[in-house]
Amino acid sequence: MIFETLISQMPYLAHGLAVAIGLLVCLLSLGLVLGLILAILEVYGHWSLRLACVAFERVFRGIPAIVLLLLFYYGVTDYIDMGSFTAAVLALGLRSAAYQSQIFRGAFLSVPIGQMMAARAMGMNKLQAIRDIVLPQALRMSIGPWTNEFSSELKATSLAYVIGVVELTRQAKYIISNTQGNILIVFGVVALMYFVVNRAGNWALYRLENRLALPGFEHRGDA
Amino acid sequence: MLLRVENIHKSYGAVEILKGVSFEMAPGQSKVIMGPSGTGKSTLLRCVNHLSPPDQGRIFVEGEELTAKNLNTMRQKVAFVFQDFNLFTHLRTVENVAIGPRKLRGFSKSAALDLAYKELDRVGLSDRADAYPAELSGGQQQRASIARALAMEPKLILFDEPTSALDPELTGEVVSVMNKLASEGMTMLVVSHEIGFARKAADEVIFMEGGKIIEQGPPSQLFEAPQQDRTRAFLNVIEHGGDA
Amino acid sequence: MSAWLDFAMEHLPYVLEGLPTTLGLWISAMAIGAVLGLALAWARIYGNRPIYAIATVYVEIFRGTPMLVQMLFIYLGLPEIGITFDPLTAAIIAIGLNTAAYQAEYLRGAVRSVPAGQMTAARALGMGKFQAFTTIILPQALRRVIPQWSNEAILELKYTSIAYAIGVTEITARAEKIGYETFQFFEVFLLIAAIYVVMTSVVAQLLQLLEKKVAVPGL
Repeated sequence: MIFETLISQMPYLAHGLAVAIGLLVCLLSLGLVLGLILAILEVYGHWSLRLACVAFERVFRGIPAIVLLLLFYYGVTDYIDMGSFTAAVLALGLRSAAYQSQIFRGAFLSVPIGQMMAARAMGMNKLQAIRDIVLPQALRMSIGPWTNEFSSELKATSLAYVIGVVELTRQAKYIISNTQGNILIVFGVVALMYFVVNRAGNWALYRLENRLALPGFEHRGDA
Repeated sequence: MLLRVENIHKSYGAVEILKGVSFEMAPGQSKVIMGPSGTGKSTLLRCVNHLSPPDQGRIFVEGEELTAKNLNTMRQKVAFVFQDFNLFTHLRTVENVAIGPRKLRGFSKSAALDLAYKELDRVGLSDRADAYPAELSGGQQQRASIARALAMEPKLILFDEPTSALDPELTGEVVSVMNKLASEGMTMLVVSHEIGFARKAADEVIFMEGGKIIEQGPPSQLFEAPQQDRTRAFLNVIEHGGDA
Repeated sequence: MSAWLDFAMEHLPYVLEGLPTTLGLWISAMAIGAVLGLALAWARIYGNRPIYAIATVYVEIFRGTPMLVQMLFIYLGLPEIGITFDPLTAAIIAIGLNTAAYQAEYLRGAVRSVPAGQMTAARALGMGKFQAFTTIILPQALRRVIPQWSNEAILELKYTSIAYAIGVTEITARAEKIGYETFQFFEVFLLIAAIYVVMTSVVAQLLQLLEKKVAVPGL
């Protein structure tokens, strides 16, 4: 009986999972681009830019994801019209940018200063040296910590539930209301789906990290 | 003159490292700068291509003054070889040599690689072209970084203590590459205590102490008949294996 | 700006009435997490195979799934098998069980970073394994874990807002209520955001003081 319900409801769960993954991809992409810009400005920028970036980071890391979601969905929509999905991408994406900029900043700072110096001594301008020499090294070093950010944002997508994005957790809630019960099993299956996506993502990123690892800088075990 | 260095002053905080240094280099010349440590030799070299911009004084390359504006084009004429190599960690040896021509000199990818293989051959590293820097010995890394400098086809190469980060048994391979370049007519300004190189390849030796040039002249004169007491004392120390 | 300040001052008292709930939820959950986390860390380092396996599965499940799902599971799901909690208790349990998994991992890392010689020396003195752990290894590991534990504590302080989703009237829920009464959602959520930023900064400062206070030279 339970399994019949589950099988009949599976398309809804699958759709919810697709929405969750779509949200994850959008918010991580926004966070990646903005986080990289923030990190570069913080490491190489003028002090005033640096100050602004640090302030952005502090604010977005200090506010709970739920409050950001509510702020963007209920608050900002008073001024700018947007749907709940867009609000979720902005709220979680800007927050992720704050966390990702920390990861990238650490990676930039761990590239030895001599690399920048040798690039500049050759006649590269600062932008060329960052793009062709420092960035490729920093990105490689970022993959490990970025994997944690991936996991944490995958789980954060479930919070979009509170502003009505019909992602996986919201679908589960609907199924429970519609079928009058099966709560443990539905949430169990939903939890399993998050778990599997998380594992798969971690595995893929770990593979990527090893594939891009340079001789002498291989992964130091402890996945 | 290929290089004219005029009255360079440089301070770090309250400490004045360079107190007015001037000299000139003709095309094809090799000069070796020697002197006790902490005397401003490396700082002087870094001032020449503005890795540390001088506080006062001027640098001319082929008659054109080095300024903040033409910095990047001028640096393509004045290559720099670092004490600790600074090969680009994420690039294979041949890519390290090719990246300058490719990104700065407008070479196509294949032309840049062709040139890179040629320069690697010149320093005897063709067989290590596909290795990453971390897979090379110190001597090989330094030769690769010399090839990287050569691939810019510079007018002048600055060497900042190119052998001092190397184990003694590895300095020979680097010095012999430098000897070869000097004999081919490359213009080289070298901060080094390699007396063997100075005797064999240098047209002139500059002795520095306390941020100033104390004495300069052909190696035969400076080593055999130094005019200044301080030069004599310094040579005494390094020739007897002491710590200069 | 000044309009917002007037609005904030007017509604601040009502929002802050939820502060004891937020802080109580946070402290209780962190305490559960600390005790359970310590046990899990012990099980993951010194436990025999079945105990190690159970602790590992626990940690993997709680770190691999969203806290909101865990909370809904406990609050909505467990009544199906006759276990019922009020929203606040369910939230405390959910956040506590969740943070336990993270705290266990930080602690395990810290214990492993204590040099092996410390255990050997303690055993050589005649201490038992458990005694050596509690008197020699743990005090060193706890000092090492403080920075990570501080991060975790601040993270959990922000996560208490998730309890709003199951109807706990902590500060976020109170803010939403004001939003519906005044329709000034932006203003009220800005207020609550500011409260969290202030709270997390204060907690970060306090925890830094703690870290300095228990620091030992050379550790």
